[in-house]
Amino acid sequence: MTRGHAVWLLLATAVPGLLFAPVFGLWALVPPVAGVVVACYVVFELCLRFPALLPWRPLLALVAGALALIEVALFDTTRSGLPTPDSLSRLAAGVTDSWQLTLQSTWPVRPEPELLLFVPLLVLFTASVGIELLRRPAASVLPSLVLLLLSQTFIAVSGTVATLVALAYAVAVAGLFVTPTRTAVALTVGLSVVAGVAVVAVPTGPAYSVRQNQFAQVPLPREVSPLAEVAARLADPEAEVFRYTSDDPVDRWRLVVLDGFDGVTWTAGDRYRRMGAEIGPPAGTTVPTAEHSARIKVPGGQRWLPSQAMPTSVSGAVRPFVDQDAGTLLLPQRGGPVEYDLRWREPFGDLAGLADAAVSSDVPTGDLGTVRDEVAQLARTATRDARPTFRTALVLEQYLSDNYKVATGSQLPTGSGWPQLREFLLDTKRGTSEQFAASYVVLARIVGIPARLAVGYRAPREPVDGETVVRNKDVLAWPEVAVEGVGWVPLDPAGAASDAGPAPTKLAEVMAKARAELPPPDEQLPDPPVSEPPAVDEGGSWTGIWTPALWALAGMLALFVVVLLAVPVAKLVRTARRKRLTGARGVVGAWWEARDLLRAHGTRITPGMTARDLAAVSGGAVVDSLRHLAVHLDAALWSGEGADEGRVRAAWKAVAEIRGALAGRSFGARIRAVFVIR
Amino acid sequence: MTQTPGQVYELIAANVQKVVRGKPQVVRLAVAALFSEGHLLIEDVPGLGKTTLARCLARSIGGTWNRIQFTPDLLPGDITGVQVYHQRDEKFAFHPGSVFANVVLADEINRGTPKTQSALLEVMSEQRVTVDAVGHDVPRPFLVIATQNPIDMAGTYRLPEAQLDRFLMRLRMGYPDRASEVLVVMSDRAGVDPDELEAVVDLPTLQGAITQVRAARIEHAVIDYATGITSATRQHSEVRYGASPRGTIALVRAAQALAATYGRAFVTVDDIKEVAHPVLDHRLILKPEAELRQRKAEGIVADLLAEVPVPIAVTSVAGA
Repeated sequence: MTRGHAVWLLLATAVPGLLFAPVFGLWALVPPVAGVVVACYVVFELCLRFPALLPWRPLLALVAGALALIEVALFDTTRSGLPTPDSLSRLAAGVTDSWQLTLQSTWPVRPEPELLLFVPLLVLFTASVGIELLRRPAASVLPSLVLLLLSQTFIAVSGTVATLVALAYAVAVAGLFVTPTRTAVALTVGLSVVAGVAVVAVPTGPAYSVRQNQFAQVPLPREVSPLAEVAARLADPEAEVFRYTSDDPVDRWRLVVLDGFDGVTWTAGDRYRRMGAEIGPPAGTTVPTAEHSARIKVPGGQRWLPSQAMPTSVSGAVRPFVDQDAGTLLLPQRGGPVEYDLRWREPFGDLAGLADAAVSSDVPTGDLGTVRDEVAQLARTATRDARPTFRTALVLEQYLSDNYKVATGSQLPTGSGWPQLREFLLDTKRGTSEQFAASYVVLARIVGIPARLAVGYRAPREPVDGETVVRNKDVLAWPEVAVEGVGWVPLDPAGAASDAGPAPTKLAEVMAKARAELPPPDEQLPDPPVSEPPAVDEGGSWTGIWTPALWALAGMLALFVVVLLAVPVAKLVRTARRKRLTGARGVVGAWWEARDLLRAHGTRITPGMTARDLAAVSGGAVVDSLRHLAVHLDAALWSGEGADEGRVRAAWKAVAEIRGALAGRSFGARIRAVFVIR
Repeated sequence: MTQTPGQVYELIAANVQKVVRGKPQVVRLAVAALFSEGHLLIEDVPGLGKTTLARCLARSIGGTWNRIQFTPDLLPGDITGVQVYHQRDEKFAFHPGSVFANVVLADEINRGTPKTQSALLEVMSEQRVTVDAVGHDVPRPFLVIATQNPIDMAGTYRLPEAQLDRFLMRLRMGYPDRASEVLVVMSDRAGVDPDELEAVVDLPTLQGAITQVRAARIEHAVIDYATGITSATRQHSEVRYGASPRGTIALVRAAQALAATYGRAFVTVDDIKEVAHPVLDHRLILKPEAELRQRKAEGIVADLLAEVPVPIAVTSVAGA
């Protein structure tokens, strides 16, 4: 068990620790992981120098690693660098809570200690266990292998990165076997090959992650749904709700998205996560997106914060939960005024084909409760019996806005259950945006268009002193339909948002154009173009993996060549250096050479062996040569006479005889001896 | 002309091996014990030539030698000597015991009672006997060669640790190989008797060899290595009591003497390793649990010899 072994082991432990980088960011992880690794090495070194500490090494490693972690990651909890009870309690929370918080957050998470502490703690535990098992290198690898698997269950790396990581890990593991045994070499090569093959051969697809079914437990007490407040807000139109500043086009702000409907009430989803550092574009969005931002000030007492369909990040003193599918933000609890910067994405670029786009096939249509025949008939009439496409969705929107009237005044209809909707659709044909949006969603769902109900505010057109004030009168409910490749597209059957915002968004522009191109109400909709079936790729699932496969092969080949050439070359250099030594050193150099030659040929050598002992265990033709070498070695080292040139020559002659005797061994044995590292 | 220790060894070894056949290494170690003025405990089953070796060694040097057959009724005074009242002179006079000789053969020492065995303690370490508060020096060189039988335990008394520690080496004879056994039988038929061996070395020559042996060169690194081994015996998890500093001194002195038998005036690491078993095995007291596991001191010393790194006096050698 040498320092070299410990260093390789710690490297093999640090690599899986750094594989959490896609979750936390590499630069957030490096300092704490490096801190605990260095602390473990320092303890290892101390125990080498003071063997009395050996029985305490695991405990010392854990304590030193924890201290290093406090200094690196929790320095703000220390007092002049000394740990405080707060440091310890946060460290304990790192053991119990941080992994859960990480799983409940969007990724990459905010690089905060309470979230990432569990990674360096895992590295610390793995390293300390691994060091204790270092006497058996194969066993000492196992803890880091477990950590590697754990990191991959959090987030699996793939492609070229995975290939390089697998190679780095394999090299670190190979370093542990400085004196390779057949089993060890087989284990190392096997690990690297399996890792490489697994990386390139496993068909790509959404990787499993332990996070996928983990959501934050959000306490949602009896909050009044913003949908139920629409009419009440319209009754007090001038009350300020929030204000914002933005240079980007905004047409509406969402508070909540309601996609559950049991015939009576609309309910929001509960798949909330803690907001991480940044959220990427939704998985189904293939159109290009542009990023916008706004600064929003919300007075106290609200839980749902104004947001957009595809929020990217929230910065400021708030730590909201986010429903990535709905794009809604929720505060953990009611509090005082909050101010935050919101960044979000909007579909951008060429959206010309939007009208002909299909509705998403992988989004469920949604619940409806019990549908009466007359309502179903109305839905078919409104959509002209067309197949569900985005154009059909626009036709439905046009039908509602042409045949129904927005209610104004003081007696505003309320409610969005089936009784109220039937009354609105079949009798009064007069309602607020609440009835328009809810009716649209149920009619769309009846004809197979996936739709949901969003509640929020339209963006007022005129900013005042750079700030735009959103008031109760701007409250708005609107339907959204899921469009293939674009995501959820907001519609406006009540026509309330059409003049919103200082400038229309790109999506609003495209939709206005699409609405203008709709056929007249008495005309059948053209059949949507049928897209070509996707071409069958000859390569099947292997497409796209050739590059990483070639990288993997090239890496393995390079590793193979390095091992093939580096070991014999290093031995030649070592021998040349030894032969340049003179005097007693020259004789000792000859002894080291003979010892290493025999060790490479499989002779077991212990630290207590002399040349005569080696002769006793070797047998065969090398015995006499070793005895001659022993005589020269004794005379050079212990007689006080040193060694002249003749003695050095005689010692190397004995080495040459040993080399000659070993040349008589089988070809396979000689080849193996060439590549043995010692 | 002064003879070197190597030449003295050759003379003695050749003389002894006229009778003791096929045991050159045992003879070498026995002569090494003689050269370092250390005492020798020869232990093995009956019939392997323990007493014969002792007698041959005693006869080969030209000094006095006494044999003490240890029995349960042997008294300390028989060994050390007693004060006898002389009526003619009307005073007490010291009557020396059997221990007053250059070579004392203590045959079957474990058959003596502990009290009698203890009578040898002082003389073995200090080469003097104290009787009635009067010290009497024994002749130099002084060597105790004791034999004991390890299997026939009835009526025997195990040697106390203090006494074992005073023996420089414990040797085991071992069975001879077939060819050597044939020679032993032929010698017996020819009537070769140890008592008929002639002394081949006189006392001044032997004393000179002993002095030269003590002056043999030994590097500090070799002494450090010897200390490392004895120190490791004390830290070994299966050893209750390891070798004492007296054991370290014995190890170095025995190595010096062994080097002399090889004709060298300097000690090597191999000398230390070669005498390690005879010098250290009988000094280790194992823990009861280790004995229950059938562990032997020989095994522990062998482990330590394999693990304690051998020194290289030349440091900073490239590639080392």
